[in-house]
Amino acid sequence: MPEQKQPMPAASVSPDAVLRALADPHRREILRLVQHTELPAGQIAARFPLTQQAVSQHIGMLKQAGLLTERRDGTRRLYSLRHEALQPVRDLLSEFWPDALARLKNAVETAHPRPQKRQP
Amino acid sequence: MTARIHGDVIVATEHITAPPEVVFPYFTDPALIVAWIGEHAELDPQPGGVFCLDFGQVIARGHYVAVEPPRRVVFTWGIPGDDTLPPGGSTVEVVLTPAGDDTVVVLTHRGLPPTHIGDHRAGWDKQLGQLRDTAG
Repeated sequence: MPEQKQPMPAASVSPDAVLRALADPHRREILRLVQHTELPAGQIAARFPLTQQAVSQHIGMLKQAGLLTERRDGTRRLYSLRHEALQPVRDLLSEFWPDALARLKNAVETAHPRPQKRQP
Repeated sequence: MTARIHGDVIVATEHITAPPEVVFPYFTDPALIVAWIGEHAELDPQPGGVFCLDFGQVIARGHYVAVEPPRRVVFTWGIPGDDTLPPGGSTVEVVLTPAGDDTVVVLTHRGLPPTHIGDHRAGWDKQLGQLRDTAG
C-alpha cells in the first residue's frame, strides 16, 4: 500500500475506543477545531497550552480511534474530523434508553405478574 | 422495544403489561427506579425537585420539570462535577399511554449530539456522561 495511506480502522473501531478518545476535553476540542476544516498539527497545537508532543499524542489517539483523517500536503499533515467515526457512539446512545426500558418492563412485569387467563 | 434518533432527539418505546398507575412510580419512587436504572436514587418528584441517579462511577443529576401521574413525567439530565456539563441541559420526557390494561411507554430524550460534533459543548459532554453509564 502507498506510504501516504494511513491506517483506516473504519468500521472495525469499537465504540469503546471512540469513547476513550472522546473522554478527554483537549481531544474533544481538537475535534471541534477540525470538524469543518483541515488544519496542520502545528496550528492545532497553537490553540492549546500544551507541548507539541502532548498535542501530537492526542492527535495520535484520535487517529487510532478513526476520528481524524490525515492528509499529506507536501511536508504538512492536515487533519480533519472523520464524521462517520461517530456512528458507533450514536449506536451506543440509541441503545441506552431501549435497554433501560427493557429492564423497566422486566421489573414491572416481575413485580406485577398478570394472570394468564385474562381475556377482554 | 424500539428506538429512533432524529437529530438531537432519541425516542424509545416499550410495551408493558401493567397499567400506567403501576408503571408511573418507577419514575418517581427511589426504591422502584433503581430496579431498572442506577444503583441509588434521590428523587423529589415535584416540579423543581431533585432527580439524582447514582450509577456507581457516574452520577446523573437534574430536576423534575413535570410530574403528572400516571401519564407523564419530565426531568432534566446532566453530570455534576464537570463545569462544561451542568446538570439540567438535556431533557427526558416520559409519556405513559394506556393500551387496554397495558401501558405504552414513550421516552423522548432531547439534547443528543448530532452526527457531527456540534459547537454546543455542554450537550456533547453530557451525552458522554451517559455513555460512561452505559459502557460501565
